[in-house]
Amino acid sequence: MEVMETSTNSPCLAALTCVLGDLSQADGSASFTHGNTSVLAATYGPCEVRMSKEILDQATVEVVCKPRVGLPNCADKYRERHIRDLFQATILVNLHPRSSVMIVLQERQDDGGLLATSINAACLALLDAGVSMKFLVAAVTALIDKDGNINLVPEEKPSDVEASASLTIVFNEKDLQVMGVTSSGKFSQEQYDRSVSLCRKATEHVFKFYRESMERKLSKSV
Amino acid sequence: MADEVRTAQPKEFYRKYLEQGVRPDNRELGEFRPTVLDIGSKNGSCISTAEGSALIRLGNTIVICGIKGELAEPKTETPTEGYLVPNVELSAVCSPQFRPGPPSEQAQVLSQFVANVLKNSQCVELEDLCIAPGKMVWVLYADLICLDYDGNVADACVLALTAALSNTSLPVVRVDEETGKTETDFKEEKKIQLTCTPISATSAIFEDNVLLVDPTRQEEELSTGLVTVVTDGKNICSLEKPGGSPLKDQQMRLCIERAFQRHTEACNLITQSQGSTLSTLTSPLVDR
Amino acid sequence: MRDVPISNCEREFLLAIIAEKKRVDGRQPTDLRQVKIQFGSNFGSCEVSFGKTRVLATVSSEVAAPKQRRPNEGILFVNVELSPMGHPSFEQGRQTEESVELNRLMERCLKESRCVDLESLCIVVGEKVWTVRVDVTVVNQDGNMLDCASIAAIAALAHFKRPDVTVKGQEITIHTSDERDPIPLSIHHMPLCVTFAFFHQGKFLLIDPQEREERVTEGKMVIGMNKHREICMLQVTGQMLLHQDKVKQCTKMAFVKVVEMTELIQEALANDKTARSKGEKCGFAMSSEKEINTTVSPAKLVEDVSKTDLPMSSDSDSGSEQEMVEAGPQERPVGDSPKVVGKGVAIIGSAAVKKWEEEEERVKGDKKGKKKKEASVKEASVKGQQSRPQASAYF
Repeated sequence: MEVMETSTNSPCLAALTCVLGDLSQADGSASFTHGNTSVLAATYGPCEVRMSKEILDQATVEVVCKPRVGLPNCADKYRERHIRDLFQATILVNLHPRSSVMIVLQERQDDGGLLATSINAACLALLDAGVSMKFLVAAVTALIDKDGNINLVPEEKPSDVEASASLTIVFNEKDLQVMGVTSSGKFSQEQYDRSVSLCRKATEHVFKFYRESMERKLSKSV
Repeated sequence: MADEVRTAQPKEFYRKYLEQGVRPDNRELGEFRPTVLDIGSKNGSCISTAEGSALIRLGNTIVICGIKGELAEPKTETPTEGYLVPNVELSAVCSPQFRPGPPSEQAQVLSQFVANVLKNSQCVELEDLCIAPGKMVWVLYADLICLDYDGNVADACVLALTAALSNTSLPVVRVDEETGKTETDFKEEKKIQLTCTPISATSAIFEDNVLLVDPTRQEEELSTGLVTVVTDGKNICSLEKPGGSPLKDQQMRLCIERAFQRHTEACNLITQSQGSTLSTLTSPLVDR
Repeated sequence: MRDVPISNCEREFLLAIIAEKKRVDGRQPTDLRQVKIQFGSNFGSCEVSFGKTRVLATVSSEVAAPKQRRPNEGILFVNVELSPMGHPSFEQGRQTEESVELNRLMERCLKESRCVDLESLCIVVGEKVWTVRVDVTVVNQDGNMLDCASIAAIAALAHFKRPDVTVKGQEITIHTSDERDPIPLSIHHMPLCVTFAFFHQGKFLLIDPQEREERVTEGKMVIGMNKHREICMLQVTGQMLLHQDKVKQCTKMAFVKVVEMTELIQEALANDKTARSKGEKCGFAMSSEKEINTTVSPAKLVEDVSKTDLPMSSDSDSGSEQEMVEAGPQERPVGDSPKVVGKGVAIIGSAAVKKWEEEEERVKGDKKGKKKKEASVKEASVKGQQSRPQASAYF
């Protein structure tokens, strides 16, 4: 915490918390918190798939995003599609033809960076379930303020400073290449390049955290 | 022979072409399909009943956009802001993969994408749509209907919407302060001012390393990921890469480069087609 | 996914031990599982767990028009959702008998007991009132969802605070939490549900049945009660007949449990309040931090690369740059100039000369065209390298 206070200007990755295997019914689950944003993720599968969604040579990835309040809207559908496309390319889908891997994400609190937190939670839940993946993925959200400064999602929700743009960038662990990007607001190409390099550095911490959580879980259950 | 290979071994078919740096439809990798934009000649609108409209043809993909204006009360939280509601419809007519009924998931995703582009680029100032603060504002419904689906509907939608918006004029409405009655003056029309023109460019990733701009439907199906970049000429308004194969920084830079290039191209297209209508626009009432 | 039914031998085993007044998890027949209440850092979000059963409740509010019959009352809306997260047999967006029953029971428990003062939610009579929405999501189903959901819902309602409003003539201002402190709802009493499961023709009963026990039960009785011994709801389901003494006995037991749980809720609310007033951190992250199986990583400083060097030379890129074709010229070439073909119609692209009608012809003459195209493949690729390097970026 001291580090945070002394350097308010340098980008700081907010605290991460995770509980693996929290839910008894799901095959894998994780409740993941980044700063103040919290998402609960559960995965089922590979299990039987509905006929209409069956793919002959690979597993179907299904994603359900549940909002905190009310019924799912277009923005949730958009998030679902993004996460589904991401994990369809990440999970070794060819290992389980004609089956389904289901990921359910429940938003518990959103203080910024919901998509990134959802992706990280989903990845941890898949890890917990032991679904084979090509590589791990992690997402980090960068905020660009009006002066062009780039920062990460802060611990506390900023009340007065509003970011002019935000970028959520997903990296893979293998060679830290960009897997997915979503943006809001306007930004320049140079700001994009800087955000990528900042997020790339930050995801290394997230990948390390994945490892720590897995180690912790395995050391308990053995 | 080529047709058989195309059906039986589509990937191999494409690979052979791409080795030579061209695509089966004779395009280069970074080349868009021929784009036809029709913003109409009658009253500057191709749908005569709409406030603004545009029809776009991107190769075989056709999207029509109509802008409809209605009056409504603003939200309590934002008393001076109007509404702009985009909706993308993938009708059953455009492809056998869509069925009639409630909007498919893809249609919802596209609607959200278009809404995001409008929000991020802020090309229409919502405050311009205010008639009387807290009492009356314009609601602009932007209905985008896909008539023929041959890939890259996202780019077609954004271009159709921008062209239609840049060509939308609303009648002047006055609210009487005392009686609260509204008075619409159809003779006097005001054009909507766009602060910028967002234009999008989508590239498909083929076999993890080739980037095909403006993919056709078959190219979309074969691709291992899509990247959509929306620019307003100066800045990037939206950068979307939903999963798919990982992309090197260089490749991403190329996509952005192409988007900027497309922006100049498309802006020229919009101004040219507008310019051509000016001669008929001078006497709109006679036409009607 | 389809539900897997319970096997006969497990059913017989469960029924046999219940007859011996034993339970699989070692509880006494009238024991509750461990109840845990957590609050989120937003007002009105609460998570309650009964053993492994877990329910999330969120309360939200917005301004809306009142119902015509009750112009001076706010609206309370309850929605219970069986999220596909909770159990493999729960499907997204599908109403089942189970979810309808749960919704109805929760509505009866919260709305019809009139536990929330709706009149205080009125802003302008007949025009604007607060609509309070309670969303209850079952996150993990391990039996007795109803009791768990009723605690979560009432605790979330008690925790919730709505923004303050001032009415000045016709104008209504909604104040943000910075301007004025938000206002809690006024809650008259806390109705809670207690479920009893019956076995062997009503001879044996269990409180707080878990999922396995629910599957072999003959029937259930639900009592909704507050700590003033007032019954708000009572429902008996299943194929069994109950003696009236049994009902009386159950209400007595229910009262004990309700008092116990009301105290627990109040204690949790008080804890949350003191934590907030001290400025301590609260929310889901903090409450899960105390558990054993939680991994925590404190905030980390990320080296600010953006200031020191340009991303062009970032490590992961340097290796791959070699194999790449130059990424095009720096200045952006102006594309083909569009051609105007008719009034209001313009075309851009290589086929710009073509008219709409000609497109059809092209389709007809496709076979001829194909040959021509194939012949021009080479030419195009050469052209691509010379005049438009950016188009030939073939990695």
